[in-house]
Amino acid sequence: MITFTTAAILAIACWSLGSIVSIFARRTPVLKVPAFLLAFGGSVVMISFIAFYWSILDRPPLRTLGETRLWYAALIPLVGFLVEYRWKIDWLKYYCMALAGFFLVINLLHPEVFDKTLMPALQSPWFIPHVVVYLVGYVLLAASSVTALHNVSLQLRAKKNVTGESVSHYLALLGFVFLSFGLIFGALWAKEAWGHYWTWDPKETWAFLSWLAYLGYLHAYRYNIERSKLQWYLALAFVVLLVCWFGVNYLPSAQNSVHTYTQS
Amino acid sequence: MVVARRRWFQTPWDFRESVLFTAAALFAGFVFEFASSGSSIALPRLPVNAIILSLFAAVVLSIGFSLRNNLIVKWFGGIPLGLCLIFAIALLSLIGGIVPQGTESSGSLAAQAGVNHIFSSWPFALTVILFLANLGLSLSWKLIPFKVQNLQFILFHAGFWIALSCAIFGSADLQRLVVPIEEGKANSFGYTMESDTPQRLPFSVFLHEFSLEEYPPQLLLYDPHSDKLLMDKSQTILEVRKGTTASWKGLDVLVLDYIPFALPGKDGLPQPADRSTGIPYAKVRISADSTKREAWISTGSPMLKPDAAALGNLYLIMVPGTPKSFRSAVTIQDGKGDDVMANLEVNKPVNFKEWKLYQMGYDEKAGRWSKLSLIEVIHDPWLPAVYLGFFMIMAGNILFFWNGIKRTEGASS
Repeated sequence: MITFTTAAILAIACWSLGSIVSIFARRTPVLKVPAFLLAFGGSVVMISFIAFYWSILDRPPLRTLGETRLWYAALIPLVGFLVEYRWKIDWLKYYCMALAGFFLVINLLHPEVFDKTLMPALQSPWFIPHVVVYLVGYVLLAASSVTALHNVSLQLRAKKNVTGESVSHYLALLGFVFLSFGLIFGALWAKEAWGHYWTWDPKETWAFLSWLAYLGYLHAYRYNIERSKLQWYLALAFVVLLVCWFGVNYLPSAQNSVHTYTQS
Repeated sequence: MVVARRRWFQTPWDFRESVLFTAAALFAGFVFEFASSGSSIALPRLPVNAIILSLFAAVVLSIGFSLRNNLIVKWFGGIPLGLCLIFAIALLSLIGGIVPQGTESSGSLAAQAGVNHIFSSWPFALTVILFLANLGLSLSWKLIPFKVQNLQFILFHAGFWIALSCAIFGSADLQRLVVPIEEGKANSFGYTMESDTPQRLPFSVFLHEFSLEEYPPQLLLYDPHSDKLLMDKSQTILEVRKGTTASWKGLDVLVLDYIPFALPGKDGLPQPADRSTGIPYAKVRISADSTKREAWISTGSPMLKPDAAALGNLYLIMVPGTPKSFRSAVTIQDGKGDDVMANLEVNKPVNFKEWKLYQMGYDEKAGRWSKLSLIEVIHDPWLPAVYLGFFMIMAGNILFFWNGIKRTEGASS
């Protein structure tokens, strides 16, 4: 049986090797293809593991925080590769792979209980679209935040960097679209499962807050506020998302939430 | 060139005036809230709320159309004020996202300031009204003259306006009642979360049968001293079936036989029984050190004591699985000859006239043997309007995504 430990170590090895080869590829272009294949292989390993895990669980592995980290680890390097392909920016993928590795290490350090059960409210056709759309949104916004951080550090060293600023902007824009869909899918599902589309459950409130944070960003951008200042905003906006993703569980308001992930 | 610093309130107004205005609105809201000693706002119901909302929309749009060159109106519908109001709503939501909501503690400072019911408080209401005015004005300028390139803006902003305003103005017309029904009986009264007085429904619900399906039971080791359940080495929730193995430190367990529905026979050994009365039994072989023994264990039920296997200070027990699904077979009648037979299940509500019926709960102490079903019935006449808003937002978002992709191509070249 394929275990999580094997898959995680294999994926991390692929990403690390891919990164090293890719650094050498800057001087020796021949290495570009093997570097990409190695790094991409890491995500393929994770995606295959998710597929395999899904099949033995008989339910989508989206129920616990640890399970959402699996998807995150599989998807975020892909955004890095996409950005490199689209904008010829090659540094983002290193951050993305490091982040993915970090999430796998958390899962390795805190192994979760293997539990096949799924409570009735989660047995809905909305479950997968709602969570996957959110994950993709989070992945894009994480990449946007990392890019913005990188831009901030370039600013502090007084380097000009126009492409970087447009990358963080477009990633935030696409991420916002996914957040909006996630929010509305969640509302439509809530109507079917709990009777009302919006009840100001703490998770809903925080999801709304993160949506407002990016809504605010898009309007500030539209009003031609200095792009360099907005990099700080984008870098920090992700903190709100992190609270929404797992911080909510620790807030006093979360006592009666329907959304707290299963703790184990 | 020397740029003269703009003085306060020198037109055109910008961020400074917006921040001041928003702060004043929040302050006024909290003053109102204190003055009304923290009571939630009672909104009017249909048709009054619909009339007020239509009038509000008409006023905002006509001001937008007729005074579009007025500098103050321009500022009122502009991005700086919009941004400040977005942050104000975010700030109030932040309070609502940290302070537990709906807790009863009237008289406390928190309750008087409305922070424990922030979403029905004056500061929130005032901010949302101003925000709707701001959003409405900006929308009016994109509506006329109409241009195809404004479609994304119009869909998103109008959708948000409709969804937000209808959700808030319509909240007074939302009826949510819980109807408890026993098997073989009908009920036409429901209870709200707030009061114990039953309310008469325009229909009655007859419960034929409540049924609950569980996941397979689980094997656990129980330590009565620490009152802890110990999971086996693999950290797996072990579903009991024939051939299941589990191991703890110095202890191996193999399930030799499993009967999902059984009752103890005359000799004390379990005999297969009917689904409605039987409970899960498992025959296990326990190997500890060099000794081996076999035993029957069971989950027990409200009528039967569970059987556990004692192992020194510990017990090997079988606990019932968590609920997989539960449903109520009901007949809904309105007394005018209309009746509908339906199966109510979580995530599968049933419509009857303007009402929606939900499987909500059951007697959790009785579990699978519950004869009581809790049905929630909901009437929300504003739902279609809110959904229209949702779908407009989504349509606008698809265009936004598409344009975003197109523009990113521009950015890369």
